[in-house]
Amino acid sequence: MSLSTLAKECIANQSKYTSLNAFISLADRASILSRVAKVPPSRNHGPDRLSGQLIAVKDNICTSDLPTTAGSGILKNFTSPYDATVVKQLRDAGAVIAGKTNLDEFGMGSHSVHSFFGPVKNTNARGEELSAGGSSGGSAVAVATGQCTAALGTDTGGSVRLPAAYTGVVGFKPSYGLVSRWGVIAYANSLDTVGVLAKSVAQMRRVFDALNFHDPQDPTSLLPSTRRRLGRPVTQRPLRIGIPLDYNISSLDPTVRKTWMHALKALQQKGHTLHTVNLPATRHALSAYYILAPAEASSNLAKYDGVRYGSRAEGPDGTPDSVLFAKTRGRGFGDEVQRRILLGAFSLSAQAMDNYFIQAQKIRRLVQRDFDGVFSARNPLLTSASSEAEGHREGAGVDVLVCPTAPTPAPELAKVKNQDPVDAYMNDVFTVPASLAGLPAVSVPVKMRETQGSGAGIGMQVIGQFGDDGLVLDVGEELMGEG
Amino acid sequence: MLNQLSRTGHATFARRPYICQECLRRLQSRHIRSIASPAPAWIRPLSTASDDRTPPKEDAPFRKALKDAAKKKRLENRGKAQSSDNPSGSSEFKSEKWELTVGIEIHAELNTARKLFSSAATSVNDTPNTHVALFDAAFPGSQPHFQRETLIPALRAALALNCEIQHRSSFDRKHYFYQDQPAGYQITQYYEPFARDGHITLYPHDFPGGVSPEGGPVTIGIKQVQMEQDTAKTIQQPPSTHLLDFNRVSHPLIEIITLPQIHNPVVAAACVRKIQAILKAVDAVTAGMEMGGLRADVNVSVRRRDSADSSQQSHSYHGVTGLGQRTEIKNLPSIKAVEDAIIAERDRQIDLLERGGIVDGETRGFTQGSKTTRRLRGKEGEIDYRYMPDPDIAPVVVGKDLVQHLKSSMPLLSDDVIEMLVDPKRYGLTAKDAGTLVVLDDGDRLDYYLEVVEILRRIFSEDFAALSRVGKMAGNWVLMELGALFKTTQWSADRVSPSELASLIAHVLRKQITGRTAKLLLAQKFDGDARPVDQIIVDEDLLLRPLSRDEYLAMAQQLLEEKSDVVRDIVEKGKHQKVKWFVGQMMARGAEGTVEPGTAEEVLRLLLQLPPMEEQRQQMKK
Repeated sequence: MSLSTLAKECIANQSKYTSLNAFISLADRASILSRVAKVPPSRNHGPDRLSGQLIAVKDNICTSDLPTTAGSGILKNFTSPYDATVVKQLRDAGAVIAGKTNLDEFGMGSHSVHSFFGPVKNTNARGEELSAGGSSGGSAVAVATGQCTAALGTDTGGSVRLPAAYTGVVGFKPSYGLVSRWGVIAYANSLDTVGVLAKSVAQMRRVFDALNFHDPQDPTSLLPSTRRRLGRPVTQRPLRIGIPLDYNISSLDPTVRKTWMHALKALQQKGHTLHTVNLPATRHALSAYYILAPAEASSNLAKYDGVRYGSRAEGPDGTPDSVLFAKTRGRGFGDEVQRRILLGAFSLSAQAMDNYFIQAQKIRRLVQRDFDGVFSARNPLLTSASSEAEGHREGAGVDVLVCPTAPTPAPELAKVKNQDPVDAYMNDVFTVPASLAGLPAVSVPVKMRETQGSGAGIGMQVIGQFGDDGLVLDVGEELMGEG
Repeated sequence: MLNQLSRTGHATFARRPYICQECLRRLQSRHIRSIASPAPAWIRPLSTASDDRTPPKEDAPFRKALKDAAKKKRLENRGKAQSSDNPSGSSEFKSEKWELTVGIEIHAELNTARKLFSSAATSVNDTPNTHVALFDAAFPGSQPHFQRETLIPALRAALALNCEIQHRSSFDRKHYFYQDQPAGYQITQYYEPFARDGHITLYPHDFPGGVSPEGGPVTIGIKQVQMEQDTAKTIQQPPSTHLLDFNRVSHPLIEIITLPQIHNPVVAAACVRKIQAILKAVDAVTAGMEMGGLRADVNVSVRRRDSADSSQQSHSYHGVTGLGQRTEIKNLPSIKAVEDAIIAERDRQIDLLERGGIVDGETRGFTQGSKTTRRLRGKEGEIDYRYMPDPDIAPVVVGKDLVQHLKSSMPLLSDDVIEMLVDPKRYGLTAKDAGTLVVLDDGDRLDYYLEVVEILRRIFSEDFAALSRVGKMAGNWVLMELGALFKTTQWSADRVSPSELASLIAHVLRKQITGRTAKLLLAQKFDGDARPVDQIIVDEDLLLRPLSRDEYLAMAQQLLEEKSDVVRDIVEKGKHQKVKWFVGQMMARGAEGTVEPGTAEEVLRLLLQLPPMEEQRQQMKK
């Protein structure tokens, strides 16, 4: 199929699926098509180029030609004066930005319902409205429904992997620091990671390869010298696959558990070996995440005061009745964002700091240590002395972990809309640990013969040691090869 | 205002400086109006914390207003008791009973080319909002880029304050909302400052009059020095408009925190003055206090000397225990204000406690020229800054080699300079004059003095007798004579250039003009006479002409006739030593420097029919 035909198909799907509310703003169609038409034919089939490909960008990633709202009322009219590095990289690789996708406001949510622009919808084969997962639900639905060939999302505690699992696409969160965050609106800087959503691992890899570079603009971007130490050549086959027993929780949906077993067996049949492992800190990971992420969020979102950009509440602010920007911030932020700002402000307050923030930081370290303890590869960010101290045993560990992405398949949209916030947070229980440790993780849809009726498949997650992004994608590809 | 720009001008943002044209126009019209109207525009120079906006002085009209206020106060005080430290008359008694404890926090703008977290240039008076990077304006998605060079002046400052440079330090966010704080937090060093455990010693020469109120040297501990960002500049346009200039956002600052080891307002003032001089000497800061480059907060508490275990004295600050409840006075814009505010707050706390009251831990403000502090906010209004390590900024690691290099290349510190100035073999100034020179006009006066001496040394390179006097002589002229002329106006080295003053002093040293003539000449130059000193002397025939013998005789004759009683003492009672008194009288009567004592005595002896001096001496030997 030619690039133009592909592009036209995407544009047709954008019209067809408007009701799913996947996009907040769409690029001008005529200019998309004229750009695609200008791509020289010889470039059409290059394996690692993105020429003429329509790629959607989550609306918390800055673009200078389309508004960047982060799904928030406070930025509803905001256009960034600059392109994020990842957007520039996509453009440089020849991609065409299809539009900006809907999300939970500032990335805070697990179902993409907390958007100033309305919830994202995900439908199954029977036409039921399901949760698209969050917060990159718009990007996931856009990919699932063919409105673009791939999409950028951001993953702070599972925001790429969870929507990928719920919509049946591939969602990849690379190792922290591989992909630039310059121009990505911060939710929780120490966890935020730009991720990619696509229908196949191969397609996703093409996008990732265009982004996987050092960026001097991002102070947390890994230096070329560090990058050279990452990712061992994976020649040793069969692989040792780890099964984290701590993920086999009682509330695990039976379908999900069955798919997990199926996926493991499939890997075993390919010759890989299975090994149970324990990650005891995992049970505290979710609590730690919901201390740390809101704490950073309360800090990062302090800049939205309506003074330099963004919207302001009508009438005077900063009067005795409304302290400084109270009115603007009260009107501009949605409920979930306000909830997390308050939560974060509390855990950073002098009286709570030691009991919450500091404790959560310690748990974060324990989670990382758990992972380092089970992987056969050393954590390349630690010196060899400190990895000895962390109890790492060379050679005895596993190469990757395989576990479900979420405890259940996509829930009904109507149910999650009235869900208790803490119940919604529970969806992140399997994705948060890898985020806390900064590890690469991919969610791929796995379909079983007996569950094929549900359509999208069940999201299975492959987690690897820091820098083993390539290996994680390889295993994801093998899992998907199973039908 | 700015959000309009974000919609209209965004595409060129990265390449063009960020100027809101509307703000610019309004600012320009404000300047025009402020000339026409006497109402001063208030510009806050350097923030030390969230609010407490003390009116400061970056524009000339306001500085003039402050000066006028200070002048008025001086006049008021002239009629009153000598010490402003004594409002109730019982202060001495009170300080026997109560001990004052003060800690100081000084914020100083570092002398760097770029901002702390962006490559935008630092600037002082440039067009508003022309040096603003995306991160400075807290644009969504922008990230901090730590500018390593900003460490250099910070490290120099910390080394000059005898601090231990920390191998590893890190940056934290200090949260509070204000329109001059675009990110909603200030990046500072709360958990891991870059320098700790320093000290500063105040010698007698560091105090006014060269006398330490504690008798000898006073050493004050420096708890830590930290780096942080400055805020934007707010330009208020009453009644309700605030214009924001983001040029100053993220200008690097250092905050110097002393231990609460100061027990005297004069010591506190001397401490701030000396820190200012040190920072200037090592070229760490942009400007002194009077230019808004430095500001101080003080923590003040009092405790009874006689009871150590009162519940009121159980407070501990920076590891110093047994102190009274302290209050904080923020944003003091001058050294005088530091001293006055401490006195006012000490007296307020003592009065309160003696009346059975309790000191609240609160933040207070002080206005230059006022006699009382005022409450800004109480404990209930105290801000919880919610310090959080900045996840985007890696820890700073400073190598030993860098510290060593900076140590070895440090310029002379004021203590070294003073030592050099008082050395009789080099400059021979008094400790008091040396101390004054070092602190005056941010060190500009010292530079001026050194240049005058340098020129004089060249002039008298062959004349060893004169050479030994030039240091002291130049000191008198630069501090006393020129100092008197600059009493009511801002110092400028251009009013009388160093070479002109040196030429004037050279004429005096060679006895070519009288001291009185020289003073008049100096005033003439100061008032703008463009002719060189040499020229004026020729034009106005000021060169000293030696007296003729007849003139000596006439002068002596007249004197002897007037004081016949003294003549009688000499001639009849043989009190020959009184001849010297007549010599003195003649010298005083003649134009300054014209009467040579030797010739005068010779003439006097002749008229009194006394033996000449040589003979007399020989007679006495016999």
